[in-house]
Amino acid sequence: MNKFNKLLHPLIGPLAAIILGLLAGSIAIVVAGGSITETYSEMWKGAFGSFYFFTSTLSRATPVILIGMGAVVAFRSGFFNLGAEGQMVLGGLSAALVGLYMPGPAWLVCVAALLAGIAAGGLWSAMAGYFDVRFRVNLLITTLLLNYIATLFAGYMVAYPFKDRTGSAAMAQSAMLDNAIWLPKLFKGMAVHAGLIIAVIVVIVLFIYLSKSVSGYEARMLGGNPLFAVYGGVRRTSLMIATMFASGGLAGLAGATEILGSQYRYIDNAFSSADYAWTGIMAALLANANPIGTAIAAFFLAALQTGGMGVELNTDVPLEIGSVIQSVLILFITVKFTRIYWKRRKGRKQDGSAV
Amino acid sequence: MLLEMERISKSYGDVNANRGINYNLKAGEVHAIVGENGAGKTTLMRILYGMEQPSSGSIKLNGKEVFFNDPKEAIRHGIGMVHQHFMLFPNFTVAENIVIGKEPGVIKFDRKAAVAQVEALSKNYGIKVDPLAKVGDCPLGVQQRVEILKVLYQGAEIIILDEPTGVLTPLEVKELLEAIKALTLKGKSFILISHKLNEVMSAADRITVLRDGEVTGVVEASDTDVEQLSNLMVGRALAPSIKQPSMPKHPVLELNNVSLSGGGSKKLLDSISLQVRAGEIVGIAGISGNGQSELIQVIAGLLSPDHGKISLLGANMTGRNARDLRDAGLAHIPEDRYIWGANKSATVAETGVMGHQRRLQRFGILKRKVIRGLVSDWIKQYSIKAGSLDNQTQNLSGGNLQKLIVARELAQNTPFLIAAEPTRGVDIGAMETIHDQLLRKRDGGGAILLISSELSEVLKLSDRIIVMYEGAIAGELQVGEATEEKLSLLMAGGKRNE
Repeated sequence: MNKFNKLLHPLIGPLAAIILGLLAGSIAIVVAGGSITETYSEMWKGAFGSFYFFTSTLSRATPVILIGMGAVVAFRSGFFNLGAEGQMVLGGLSAALVGLYMPGPAWLVCVAALLAGIAAGGLWSAMAGYFDVRFRVNLLITTLLLNYIATLFAGYMVAYPFKDRTGSAAMAQSAMLDNAIWLPKLFKGMAVHAGLIIAVIVVIVLFIYLSKSVSGYEARMLGGNPLFAVYGGVRRTSLMIATMFASGGLAGLAGATEILGSQYRYIDNAFSSADYAWTGIMAALLANANPIGTAIAAFFLAALQTGGMGVELNTDVPLEIGSVIQSVLILFITVKFTRIYWKRRKGRKQDGSAV
Repeated sequence: MLLEMERISKSYGDVNANRGINYNLKAGEVHAIVGENGAGKTTLMRILYGMEQPSSGSIKLNGKEVFFNDPKEAIRHGIGMVHQHFMLFPNFTVAENIVIGKEPGVIKFDRKAAVAQVEALSKNYGIKVDPLAKVGDCPLGVQQRVEILKVLYQGAEIIILDEPTGVLTPLEVKELLEAIKALTLKGKSFILISHKLNEVMSAADRITVLRDGEVTGVVEASDTDVEQLSNLMVGRALAPSIKQPSMPKHPVLELNNVSLSGGGSKKLLDSISLQVRAGEIVGIAGISGNGQSELIQVIAGLLSPDHGKISLLGANMTGRNARDLRDAGLAHIPEDRYIWGANKSATVAETGVMGHQRRLQRFGILKRKVIRGLVSDWIKQYSIKAGSLDNQTQNLSGGNLQKLIVARELAQNTPFLIAAEPTRGVDIGAMETIHDQLLRKRDGGGAILLISSELSEVLKLSDRIIVMYEGAIAGELQVGEATEEKLSLLMAGGKRNE
C-alpha cells in the first residue's frame, strides 16, 4: 500500500493539471460553438484512433521525449536550459550536412550524422555554461537568446550556401538526404522511426544515471543545494559544463533523429513551428523532471497536438483547442512551482524547532 | 496560579510525545523546561500556544479552563512565543516587524505612530532597539529583542522562549538574561525551554525536567545543581569525558599569513598564521562575525584567500577546491548545517553519504546496500531519530541532523578535521558522545581545528586556544592558562599579546 502510494503520489499533480486542462478546453470548445463530446472524441481519434494515428503520435513524441530528457538533465542539476530550440536546430542542421557531404558506408554516415547532431547541440549549450562560469552571464538569458542566433544562422545556411537548388527555388531548405542513410521506419508506411527506440533507451539510461550513479547523485545534490554539493567535494564547474553538454546534446540528438528519420532534409523553421523544444521543456516541468514521468508527459502532449489536428480536420473547432489545453497546463505547472516554493519557505521555519 | 497545565497527553500514532504532564507557572516567575531532544518540550509548548490540541488534559489560565484552537487565541489570552528560529521579515524595519498584525492606522498604515509606540514600549521595558533599523542588518541578539518586543506589543503576559540562546554570543546571552530579570519585575512570566543547564540555572526560579514525554522532576533552581538536572534529563549519571594531555606530533595544517579582503576597507582575514598538529585540538574562540566563518571556508577550499599559503600534510593547498582538500585529507563539520551540511529535499541516506560517494561505488554506480548499512550504523551509534533512510532530510530536527553530519564527517577518518560548532543544537547526551568521539580522534593522531561559540566547549576540548578579533589572531593561550575571563577579554579586543 505504501509503495503504491509512493508510486501514485507524483502522478496526482500532473493528472489534476490534465483534468483541469481538459475542463478548460471544454469551455473553449463551447465558446467556439462545438460539441464537447464530439470534439474530444475526434481528438482521441486523431491521437490514438487507428494504428496510423497512434504511430504518428509516437513519431511526434520522439523529439519531444529527447528534448524532455535534455531538460531533465539540466533541471535536476539546478540549471535552466531554455535553449533546446537552438540546440535542436543546430543538431538537425549538422546532421543534415554530415548526411549530405560525408563519404563512406551509409550506416557509418548515419551514425556520424547522429553524433554530429549531439556534438553541435551539446557544444552550443556548453558554451552558454562556459559563459556562466567564466563571465557570470546568467544561464537562463544566454540559453534563451542563443536560440535566435542558432535558428537565424541555420536559416541563413539553407537559404544561401547549402540551399537546395534542384527543386522549387522558393523554399529555404537543404538538399534531400540519400535514402540509404535514413533511420529505418519501425512499421512499413507509418511515420514512427528508429528514433523512438533511441529515445526510449535514453530514458532508461537517464533514469539509471540519475538514481544509481555517483555522478547522477552529485548532479541531484548540486540541484538541491549547490553549497552542500560543493562542500562535499562536487566539482561544480566541470559537472555544470558536462550537464549542459548532455542537455544540449540530447536536444541536438532530437534534431538529428528528426532529420534522419522523418524530414530527410533541413527545412528552415520546421522545428520551431512544430514547437518541439518548448513542448519538451514543458513535459519535463509537468513531470517534475522525473525521466519516466517526463516521457509519459511528452507522449501525452504530443497526443494533444496530433489530436488537435484531427479535431480541425473533422469538426469546426480550430486546431488551437490543443494549445488552449496546453496553456492551462502551463498555468497549473506554475501553480505547482509556487506551492513547492511555499512549502520550502514553511519548511525553513520549522527547521530544528522540533526538540 | 497564573497558568496550570494538567495531565497533558499527546500522541502521534503510536508515539506518545507527552504523557500526563503537569506544569504550572506563577506570575512573575521564570519556570524552565529542560529535556533532551524528543523529550516532549516543544510538543508541550505547541499545545500551550494553540498549534496542537492535546489528546487529553486541560489548560487553566487564572483558574479558568481555556481551549486554544490556534495561536491567535493563545495570543489573545496573553501567551506569546519567541521561536528558536526567528520569524521576522529581514527587509522590514524593527518597528514594522513589531507592530505586524496589529498595525496602527485605520486604512493607511501609520508608520510614525508605529515608531512612537515601539519607542514607548522599548523604554517602558528597558529593551533597547532602533525602531528604524532594518531587521536584516541587526545582529541576532537584537533580532531576538525585536521578537520579545513583538510578543509584548501583542500583550503577552506569559512569554515562551524556545531555545533562546542557541544563536547568541556570550555577551548577548548575558543581556538576554538581564532582560528576562527586568521583565519579571514588571510582572511578566517566562517559560524557558532550553538544554543549556548553566543558563537555566542562572535564569530560572523553578525547573521542570522532561524525559521521554514524562516529568522526571520539578525542582527549585536554588535547591539543585547541573549534575542533578542532567541525571534527571538523561536518566543516568554522565561520565565526564576524560582528557589525556595531548602529545602533538608533525604539523598537519599550516596557514602562513593568510589574508582575505572583503568588499570594504576592512580585511575579513588579516595575516592569519597558525598550525594544527597531529594529535591535538586547536580551538578558535571569538565573537561570531570576527572572521571565523571565513577562516573555515578558506581552509575548507570554499573560498580562495588573497594572500598567504595553506598547506595540508605538507602539500600546498592554496586556492584548491573542496574536492582537492577532501582528497588530501580533510573532513569538515560545517558551522551551518542547512547552508553547507545538507540537502533538505534529499533523503537521509543521500545527505548522509555526501563526501563518501566516490569511495562507495563500483563502475560509477553507487553501492546502495553498503551505503544504507553505513548510514544505518551511524543512526544507531548516535541514536539519531531519523524515521527511515528514505525520509526527507528536512523532516529531521536540527539536533538529529547535526548528529548525522557529525557521524558522516567523523567516518571520513581523515588526518584533519574542521569541527565548526559541532554540538550546536544537540542534547547533552549526544554532546557527550560527540565530544568523546572528537577526543578519541585526537588521541588516535587526528588533527582537529575546533571553532565554537560555546566557550565551555572550547575550554573543555582544546589543547591550545586561538582567539580571533576582527579577522586577526588576538592571542593564543595554552589550555592550562586559559580561563573564560581571559578569553572574553581577548574576544572583546581587550589586548593583544603579540
